[in-house]
Amino acid sequence: MAKKPKISELLDERACAHSATKKSACNTQTPGATTGGCAFEGAQIALFPFADAAHLVHGPITCLGASWETRATPTSHTGRDLTQMGFTTAVTTNDVVFGGEDKLREAIDYLMEHYAPAAIFVYATCVTALIGDDIDAVCRQAQAKYGIPMVPVHAPGFVGSKNLGSRLGGEAALASLVGTLEPETTTPFDINLIGEYNVTGDMWQYTPLLEELGIRVLATLSGDGRIPAIRSAHRAKLNVIVCAKSLISLTRKMQEQFGIPFISLSFYGKRDTSSGLLAIAEALGDTELLARTRRLIAREEAALDEKLRPYRALFQGKKAILNTGGNKSWSIASALQDLGIEVVATSVRKATEADREKAREYLGEKGILMTNPGAEQARIIDQTRADLLLAGGRSLYTAIKKRIAFIDVNQEKKKSYGGYQGLLNLAEDVKNALENPVFRIVATRAPWEK
Amino acid sequence: MGEIIRKPRKPLQVNPIKLSQPMGAALAFLGVNQCMPLMHGALGCASFTKVFLTRHFCEPIAIQTTAVTDVTAILDGGDYNIAESVKNITTKVTPQLIGLHTTGLTETKGDDIRGVASRIDVPLVYVNTPDFEGGLESGWALAVKAMIRQLTAPASQVQPRRLTLLPHVSLQPIEVEKLKEFVALFGFEAWALPDLSTSLDGYLGEKQGSLSSGGIEVADIRSLAQSQIVVSIGESMRGCAEALREKNPAMRHHHFPHLQGLAATDALVAMLLEESGLEQPPASVVRWRKRLQDALLDTHFALGQTRFLVAGEPDQLAGVCQALGEAGGRVRVAIATVESPLLEQVVAENILVGDLEDAEHLVDDYDLMICNFHGEALARRHHKGLMTRGFPNWEQIGNQLKNDLLYEGSCYFLFEAANAAEEMRRHRKD
Ligand code: SF4
Repeated sequence: MAKKPKISELLDERACAHSATKKSACNTQTPGATTGGCAFEGAQIALFPFADAAHLVHGPITCLGASWETRATPTSHTGRDLTQMGFTTAVTTNDVVFGGEDKLREAIDYLMEHYAPAAIFVYATCVTALIGDDIDAVCRQAQAKYGIPMVPVHAPGFVGSKNLGSRLGGEAALASLVGTLEPETTTPFDINLIGEYNVTGDMWQYTPLLEELGIRVLATLSGDGRIPAIRSAHRAKLNVIVCAKSLISLTRKMQEQFGIPFISLSFYGKRDTSSGLLAIAEALGDTELLARTRRLIAREEAALDEKLRPYRALFQGKKAILNTGGNKSWSIASALQDLGIEVVATSVRKATEADREKAREYLGEKGILMTNPGAEQARIIDQTRADLLLAGGRSLYTAIKKRIAFIDVNQEKKKSYGGYQGLLNLAEDVKNALENPVFRIVATRAPWEK
Repeated sequence: MGEIIRKPRKPLQVNPIKLSQPMGAALAFLGVNQCMPLMHGALGCASFTKVFLTRHFCEPIAIQTTAVTDVTAILDGGDYNIAESVKNITTKVTPQLIGLHTTGLTETKGDDIRGVASRIDVPLVYVNTPDFEGGLESGWALAVKAMIRQLTAPASQVQPRRLTLLPHVSLQPIEVEKLKEFVALFGFEAWALPDLSTSLDGYLGEKQGSLSSGGIEVADIRSLAQSQIVVSIGESMRGCAEALREKNPAMRHHHFPHLQGLAATDALVAMLLEESGLEQPPASVVRWRKRLQDALLDTHFALGQTRFLVAGEPDQLAGVCQALGEAGGRVRVAIATVESPLLEQVVAENILVGDLEDAEHLVDDYDLMICNFHGEALARRHHKGLMTRGFPNWEQIGNQLKNDLLYEGSCYFLFEAANAAEEMRRHRKD
């Protein structure tokens, strides 16, 4: 059963890209000037996609009430998709005064009786952590009673950011699940996908290719994930971290405990997808596999290029400005470049050192790295004669004023931009934006304006 | 009036429709111009609220957090986090008001926000909104009451024909606007507190989202006690009207549980005629009433054979159930997010305080659901019709302009419900 991981230990994570430069950069929070979600949200992101497990949020209504059914993480699980259900103890004043453990215990009984999950994750939140509810003890007792994993997740919001919470979520899975079950069979090419949540089916864009290559996804954390699979994840030959630096600590620990090496990559855009597939084949160290992978990549790239040709003609000479955060600042840039669009500027506001370097690498010497995009982007649109702004909703007005096309990159995604196929989705969206007259029409003056 | 089922309480909520008090308070502050809602708690509550409301309204949402951490939670009684927040907010923007509201964490800690507020020299309203009590509706109402208590200047005289509207949380921006225009037709000058009709109504403009971009002016909140009349809409707002009358006992108070359907609108019109001294309402009002009469008849056949489930905030339930009932729609099940004295009056056969799991257990009792977007999965699984109402609706756009109120909006509401019922029946036949 899990012990509470020490927060300071996690913050001091060696593998965290920016802990070398800024101490505890992952956890700075300025009152009145903080954006982004809490640790609980991070844990939820990391673990909720296990669709065969119940996710019981032990706290008042805010934590789950505003957050269930928010993320489109599809599953192939044939039973009821518990990811898209909300379970919370919804503690009230009485529980705060007298403690919420009894209620939690009863809630677990209720879930076992009505939903028969493969495991239950119990999430501590600010209030229940503060009043000192012992979720470890409750989980231990429930596990003994029901014989299925009961996983305490210690990521109450006040311990830090979403990233830290994802890390804590991963730690909880490691402590309580990984290594508790042997897989039915193993293959020399078993891998785990870590930090891939299958948002809008991203993962399904490339898993058929892995399958074709003879690479088996043994377990995921946690996209289209299953509890028996993650329990036997210790038998994988390789951990593949997909676009999630926050889970490096987990894979490092799995390396120490089970000798599983790890690599980190992303599947956005053609180049990243190809080099990702290649990196997996290389890490698995089989020359046959490597050759197969090269052939597959050549085939897929050729097929994609063929399909992209009409778009490329359309996008020739088009310039785009990208104003978004985190790894999107380079991953979307890379994908746009694959479409033949010149990315003239991207935002590096709040970016980590690594993200900044990547952005520079992708945009080249001439590319503009915006540190204050809100103030800069209008001028840069004029300067570069950009045709397209990809940004969050609040930049829409800038695009309208400058009469250029706009794509809301922060909008809740409905379709996947991942893998080779996803690039076609992106191409179609960009095409539609560029062709849409709406931005010009909206910008026309009213009859009463001179 | 139906039977209120108070089943033995479950130890948990499954697929909750209940939302939290701090969210309701934050939304109320967003109906005040140039306001910064400041949620006193750890960062996540504000972040969830921001995302939640952004997706519902398709608008940038201004909100900040005092970002209490495990360290400050132990060392600080709120002073540090709140004072720092105010400092950091005011170095970037100049809010007309900061709306400080608590969360479960800071209430459990026992922070004395009143004391802290007294040491801050920026316009600020504070309100206690623990999320282990009440819900969205009460959080909104508590914030409104706090604004009245802390901002509105007492008065002894009233200005004739000034009228204050106190809308409950479930009224969408356009509904508040329609209401203001409606009373204006009778010669009243109306203010709404809060006023989402000019802040979250969805308009093109330069909105950076760093402060609320529209809503009632703080100066107008200060002078609300000069109103001749205060009109509260929704049981949750009754206390707010009383708070306002304490500022000026010469003010007259009229209360309406809701303003959906013929009878409720008639009651409002009767009051407005009486207060204005007019013999006849304006021609457009007369015309809309006739249209609603016609709409009731046009829809009664479809609605009369339809069994409904309605889920939502208590004040919203009251209106929706009444409007359906007037055209013969049978509300078999009404599920409220929280307890309310109003539930006794909701026109439904069974009324319970519950969640969508309860709705699933009663699935044979109804054909059409009126519910927030969380009802969609259930509707799909069991082939029910669905009409989306209430917070949140993340699947559809245009929520801010959905109008169900008064003679006019009631027509739209009935047509939509009747069409949804017919469509559901066509689907079932296929
Ligand atoms: S900050 Fe705490 S109380 Fe707020 S949502 Fe996160 S875990 Fe819940």
